[in-house]
Amino acid sequence: MKDFDAIVIGAGHAGCEAALALARMGNETLLLTLSLDAVAFLACNPSIGGTAKGQLVCEVDALGGEMGINIDKTSIQLRMLNRGKGPAVQSLRAQADKVEYHNEMKKTLENTPNLYLRQGEAVDIIDEGKYKLVKTAVGIEYKAKAVVFATGVYLDSRIIIGEYTKDVGPNGFMNAKFLSSSLERLGIKLLRFKTGTPARVNSRSIDFSKLEIQNGEDNIQSFSFMTKEKPKNRAVCYLTYTNENTHDIIRANLDKAPVYSGLIKGVGPRYCPSIETKIVRFADKERHQLFLEPESLSTNEIYIQGFSTSMPTDIQEQMIHSLKGLEKAEIMRDSYAIEYDCIDPKQLLPTLELKNHNGLFFAGQINGTSGYEEAAAQGLIAGINASLYLQNKQQLILKRSDGYIGVLIDDIVTKGTLEPYRMMTSRAEYRLLLRQDNADLRLTEIGRDVGLVSDERYNMFLEKKAKLSECMEKLKTKIKMDEIFESLFKENGENLPKENITLYEMLKRSNIDIFKINDKTHLFDEFDYDILNEVNIMVKYEGYLKQQDEEIAKFKKNEATLIPANFDYFKYHGLRLEAAEKLNEIRPLNLGQASRISGVSPADIAVLSVLIKKDRG
Amino acid sequence: MVDMKEKTIVAISTPLGRGAISIVRMSGKESLTLAEKVFCSQKLDYRNITPRYLYLGDFKLGDGIIEKCMMVYFKSPFSYTGEDIVEFQVHGGTVLTQRILEKLIESGATLAEAGEFSKRAFENGKISLDEAESIIGEINAESESELSASLSVAGGKLKEEILALQHSLTEELAEIEATLDYPEEDFEAAVKEKIFSEIERVYNSLANILNQSKNARFLNHGINIALIGSPNAGKSSLLNAVLGKERAIVTDIAGTTRDTIKETIAYKGINLNFFDTAGIRDTDDQIEKIGVDKSKEYLHSSDIVLHIIDGSKPLSQDDKEINTMLAGTNYIVVINKIDKSRVVKTFENEIEVSALDKININELLEKIYNKVISEEIDFNKLVVTNERQLSLINEGLTKAKTILARQEESMDVVAMLIKDLWQTLGKITGQCENEQIIDLIFSKFCLGK
Repeated sequence: MKDFDAIVIGAGHAGCEAALALARMGNETLLLTLSLDAVAFLACNPSIGGTAKGQLVCEVDALGGEMGINIDKTSIQLRMLNRGKGPAVQSLRAQADKVEYHNEMKKTLENTPNLYLRQGEAVDIIDEGKYKLVKTAVGIEYKAKAVVFATGVYLDSRIIIGEYTKDVGPNGFMNAKFLSSSLERLGIKLLRFKTGTPARVNSRSIDFSKLEIQNGEDNIQSFSFMTKEKPKNRAVCYLTYTNENTHDIIRANLDKAPVYSGLIKGVGPRYCPSIETKIVRFADKERHQLFLEPESLSTNEIYIQGFSTSMPTDIQEQMIHSLKGLEKAEIMRDSYAIEYDCIDPKQLLPTLELKNHNGLFFAGQINGTSGYEEAAAQGLIAGINASLYLQNKQQLILKRSDGYIGVLIDDIVTKGTLEPYRMMTSRAEYRLLLRQDNADLRLTEIGRDVGLVSDERYNMFLEKKAKLSECMEKLKTKIKMDEIFESLFKENGENLPKENITLYEMLKRSNIDIFKINDKTHLFDEFDYDILNEVNIMVKYEGYLKQQDEEIAKFKKNEATLIPANFDYFKYHGLRLEAAEKLNEIRPLNLGQASRISGVSPADIAVLSVLIKKDRG
Repeated sequence: MVDMKEKTIVAISTPLGRGAISIVRMSGKESLTLAEKVFCSQKLDYRNITPRYLYLGDFKLGDGIIEKCMMVYFKSPFSYTGEDIVEFQVHGGTVLTQRILEKLIESGATLAEAGEFSKRAFENGKISLDEAESIIGEINAESESELSASLSVAGGKLKEEILALQHSLTEELAEIEATLDYPEEDFEAAVKEKIFSEIERVYNSLANILNQSKNARFLNHGINIALIGSPNAGKSSLLNAVLGKERAIVTDIAGTTRDTIKETIAYKGINLNFFDTAGIRDTDDQIEKIGVDKSKEYLHSSDIVLHIIDGSKPLSQDDKEINTMLAGTNYIVVINKIDKSRVVKTFENEIEVSALDKININELLEKIYNKVISEEIDFNKLVVTNERQLSLINEGLTKAKTILARQEESMDVVAMLIKDLWQTLGKITGQCENEQIIDLIFSKFCLGK
């Protein structure tokens, strides 16, 4: 039996970040996984990023996490979504080489000091207070002061294909049979969720000539601040659509779909519906768009995005063959639905520590979320907080105004979730501020404080900040209107200013941006694209950002009103019973968190704020 | 859960003297016991009473007098106040309803204080903070009409209207957010033209609600009218002509009316409150100056200003100055003394009158009415707002206007501005959970891999 500072159970996207954070912060860390071949496995689509998720990856990166670096190394196609809809909603999306993604992450883990990667099945956890015991199936007993649970969708999971079900994890990997009951013995309430993944087909059997191609964009930014060489586009995706024939096949066989036959009982996500659910719920939609995504440069396997189903395999084949370009497609892996146990995240503190057990942290899909990026974000925070716990330091809680990570964690621990939780930009109230481009500016200092940001990264960050202020300073320059500037104004349909104006004032004009100024004048040649882009957004959106700043100031006031840890919600009259019960269940840390509990009204908060004062006397 | 220590209260909960039916409501743990003393019905067994069932029976008013009426019982906590409630629906008419109320009080109930039902409902968590605020308005209700108006707020009329507006914004937001969060999906993306035409509709509706709420206010408090003009233009005489009696001192010495005089008449069911002020003119007379300052103050605090000009004399310097001060206010220029020959020029918004010969006095009242009440008062559409609601509606109006001026902005900014407006309205309705938008996104669009 070997002692560790911390044990991380599960080496998916959450577990990897948690273990790396712990080890990098100087803790002897054991990373226990069911299968070493499933480390950082992209079990569903071979892609990282997308709306809100791209922001999450950049935030993980700014705090010193690994996901951004790993996807930059292994990306085979990169695009920026939402161009033209404003900087706040622009998100990077990469196709990942899933084989390489796994390999690279595994290599990183293997070469990280203090980190011990070990295959083994955790079967029982015993909380002895200061020490936690983790027992494995083969009888090893590990001991540590902190444990991070990052078990993904493996808890008592089973896959479903038509009438066939099997108690396994994703992709046929073995599942964790005994951990659910161990968690229940710790007093943890479990939920049962469901998700699914589409079939993979062999690219040699697809007629791409019939299909619409989707190329990557060249020369765009990378996810990680640390990536020096821009990732190259090395693969393309294709588009196809379902048709009336596909829909007829599905309708004719609905009774065989486990979601409708009642075989599946877990709650599935609304944003990740199976194709049969789409056909039933949106009956009047003539076609559904599907993306064909390459899984890796080292395989022919193609992922059919938008086509997940739990129909029997013969029906699956008919469905796929009804698609244009896939008439002769050879299925390599079946589409399946998967059911699994997860915990009700309302049992966690915003630090991701279990409320009733010190030193037990939870991250990723075990918390009822979905998505690699959501998992990584939680893994990082759980790892950081487990480490801070070991060091006896104050825990890190990111606020909703700090980043999407703050929004994500606050949402799940305060409101809970009834379906696998997916991050969306519309969940962030300060979306204009929480951009991908400024993730480093928002979070690097925090990462530095906890000790995850390396000197190299920190120095680069300081340099960027210096460049930014230099550029902002330069905007104060008063410009004498000459032919060059006049043509800039005229070409962009702007009226000529009556007197000399500064570059800053010029930038405020709606049809002029810093890149246009630079193209004409080369005044900003010394600055990189990132700097110019940042300055441009800061000036253009100044008014709106200020408006959000004011809201954030108000928001922070409530966040700063702490509720005593042992506050008795039933002690005083005035609080509605329903509200008191909800507050008592969540036990919010502050008035702000209390106000976000569903079923707690502004009137309750008004009453509560009075009661807190009263309680203090 | 419900505090049973409180006494059982009773009140007539429909406006007195109106309608064919009046309701007398009783709330508190003794409600049923008290009802048993005065009301019986063949079908009714008080040990086994069915809640929310309408019993037809006899109300014993005493001295052998019996009144047929209906009775309904709401069991705690499923009632308006959260307590046991018994309601009697009786034939309308002040005297009868009054006697039923008195009988219940005689039997042991206590007359409810203004707003006490709502207060209890609030205390028992039955109504939100917003509706609770209208209770305060209820308690302070000055007149019967205001009481009936704030009851309509308690009934949620304003909330209902704002909710409808908020809902249409939710629809727009769902479309925008789906477009922003699912850029790769195949669905009809949000179109700016449609969004902005919807915002325009919301803007107009808010403006309309604001108008109606102003009308309600005029109905309760009347229209405040400031009479101003240079000394001796005939303000007091005009007031007397309107009132049909001599009230203000009328002399030929300029500056006689030093104190502000308030006189009220009813016109088309609305009180017209006339404030006769000292004439505005530059003066060193300390006492008169107070009056002059006051009239400047009234200029801005009144609903409408009547600038009275002596039409028979050349325009004084004072009048010219007053006329420039009027810009931006709601005003009428009253050319007085048209019994004599007119020498002054034509003004905007003018009306010719003679206070002495009572010419055009009714026309003046009509003009005042029309200039203040922007549209016909529709008693079914009246909404009453308290100060907070009023300021929120105004805030919403300003925000809607801002959005309309920002049509060139990118979608992330437009979304932020609309959400801001949505939240402002949410403060009135008490509903602004972000999850509502997300729910709508997924029920409206087929999204996801």
